Amino acid sequence: MSGARILVVDDEPEIRRALKANLTGHGFEVTAVASGEEALAEAARAHPDLVLLDLGLPDLAGLEVCARLREDQIEAPIIILSVQEEEEQKVSALDQGADDYLTKPFGMNELLARIRVALRRAGGSSRSGQALLKLGDLELNLERRLVSMRGAPVHLTPKEYEMLRYLAANAGKLITHRTLLRAVWGAEYEDARQYLHVFVAQLRRKLEEDPAHPRYLLTEPGVGYRFESPA
Amino acid sequence: MELTFWLVRSLGIVAGVALVTALIAILRGLLTVPNLAPLYLLTVIQSAVSWGWWPALASAVLAFLAYNFLFVEPIYTFTIHDPQLALELLVFLAVAAVTSNLAARERARREEARERAQEATLLYAVGRALASRPLEDALGEVAELLRETLHLRGCAILLAGRDGQLEPKVSIGELDGQFTEAPAEWLLARPRFDQPARRWIAVRRTGPHRRAASHQVPLRVEERPVGVLRLSAPPGGLRPQAARLLATVAEQLAAAIERERLRQAANQAELLRRTDELRAALLSSVSHDLRTPLAAIKASVGSLLQRDVAWSEADRQGFAEAIDREVDRLDRLVRNLLDMSRIEGGALRPRLEWYDLAELVREVAARLAPILAEHPLKLDLADDLPPVQIDYLMIDQVLTNLLENAAKHTPPGTRVEVTLTGEDESVRVCVADDGPGIPPQAAGGIFDKFQRANRKGGPAGSGLGLAVSRGFVEAHGGRLELKSASGGATFCFSLPLEPRSSELQAPIDQSELQTRNPKLKTTP
Repeated sequence: MSGARILVVDDEPEIRRALKANLTGHGFEVTAVASGEEALAEAARAHPDLVLLDLGLPDLAGLEVCARLREDQIEAPIIILSVQEEEEQKVSALDQGADDYLTKPFGMNELLARIRVALRRAGGSSRSGQALLKLGDLELNLERRLVSMRGAPVHLTPKEYEMLRYLAANAGKLITHRTLLRAVWGAEYEDARQYLHVFVAQLRRKLEEDPAHPRYLLTEPGVGYRFESPA
Repeated sequence: MELTFWLVRSLGIVAGVALVTALIAILRGLLTVPNLAPLYLLTVIQSAVSWGWWPALASAVLAFLAYNFLFVEPIYTFTIHDPQLALELLVFLAVAAVTSNLAARERARREEARERAQEATLLYAVGRALASRPLEDALGEVAELLRETLHLRGCAILLAGRDGQLEPKVSIGELDGQFTEAPAEWLLARPRFDQPARRWIAVRRTGPHRRAASHQVPLRVEERPVGVLRLSAPPGGLRPQAARLLATVAEQLAAAIERERLRQAANQAELLRRTDELRAALLSSVSHDLRTPLAAIKASVGSLLQRDVAWSEADRQGFAEAIDREVDRLDRLVRNLLDMSRIEGGALRPRLEWYDLAELVREVAARLAPILAEHPLKLDLADDLPPVQIDYLMIDQVLTNLLENAAKHTPPGTRVEVTLTGEDESVRVCVADDGPGIPPQAAGGIFDKFQRANRKGGPAGSGLGLAVSRGFVEAHGGRLELKSASGGATFCFSLPLEPRSSELQAPIDQSELQTRNPKLKTTP
């Protein structure tokens, strides 16, 4: 994890400076650039392990940078940095392949935690290839499509299972409503958010000890869901 | 008036008959024609063409009597002995009646055609005036057109104000006094649906002569009164056809008045919308500008607080300096916001003292050195200038804003130059950069609040700096202008050597400052 190369893209010199100093201090190898074009060039040259991307860039919209990085086959996780007013753009960026976001001003500890999760996910990437997924007290047997919680079997409908499998396979990653709908129901349902609310509520009833205060299936208000595996 | 009218007609008839009678008297001496009465048809038809059927009939009867009296045996009596002649004269009467009827109808048709043409012309002119000109001008033109076409003695148009009171907009010619005390109940009275169209016009007859009437036509839009049209009829009174014409004109007027009202309402809505947009721009730019330094500060403070890394002394120094710089930046933003509200509140009074401008430029440049670190700064300051009366803090702020803009909007490494020159009655400070300049479409509104040359992306900024700077310079009786926009931007401001006290007191033009954020209205 330490030694991972991080590309910081932000047009604010002070933020670049602070991030670079801090992340370098935490053992990362940091390159900081101020514009979208520089970011694309640097990413193509150095293939960073992770990108911290500001949405309000002078030349390209952060959204476009995000899409073009993915077009260029840069698979490194992207964490979006944005101010609150860029809410809609943020969701679009996540839909287009960004992995997570933080709202400015953010705490350094939170940023570091998100960076670690993203890097861990990217590192142990082929989780979906495993036959057995173990996340906290939850176990998913992908071959036999069996789910158990704290050792007790849990009965899920096919759609519930699909949804849980997708979220668990992407544990730690923020999944937008649209992405989840597309993955479970298909592209033509990607605006049918009401399905999600219903199914997420059912899954929580079946999995969580206290569905009102979920520990696994977390809501990111207005954006999507994140499956956490409690330590 | 009406008496003269009848007198003229009667005299005309009598004169016509007399003329033909004289002609017959002469011809009788020359010719031996038994009955010359048909000659009277000349004057009868003439009467029919000029005045219509009844005058023609009167003319025929008069002619019959005159011929009978003067030329038929026994002369000077109204008796006729010769039965054949009696028959002939009766036939004459009948022929006169029929032909004059035909002639009179023809006359009426012609008259009607003329009137219709006139009406069409009038309606077209009214429609055009109302469609193509501002309402106030158009109303005057309509009144003039009506007066001309209907030969009115006077015409006035009054509009219902917001409170329902009638306000005179146009008044031409002579109007009867009764209308000055506006009978508002006429306007407000609901029209009765069973009234025929002609009665739609409220007619009020006043004045000494029965036919010299004054009329009041309500202007309504869907039953709602929007005004009245008042007119003083010509001496002969209005013809019945005029009622139809007036009703049509009244409809057009009412529609135009309503259109104007809707247009004003739309303008009001547009103004509100733009105010809203401005407020949204304020919120987004201020929140962005407040949050960005906060994010940098939080990142630095967060780093200093982390115990998992042993920061070197240089690292700690770096974080602390970043915090210091960003706090200064926040302070400048807050100051600009407060200054803007002072400018808008009209509470700006420069505290003038004598200062050396060159000195001020050097001090500001030294203070901004960290911001300008990536830009070579060239100072070209005339040192032989007399001191000027300025409010030091304000002019400091103006120069700070201009330099900060130059640093922020240009790529690192490009030159920034400040020049100070003396002119006849003023001194002039220019800040020039070698950056990308300002796009032409943005140059016009560059001094407006919350305007940034590159709204999409681009370096952040509240868009307040230039608006505040302009306010400050103008408070000194000077001017701040964008001198050159392409090939780098150059902003110049001039300050008068002798400040004109009147301008110092003048508040800033309020029309530019449409929004006020009450929260920001802290007047120090």
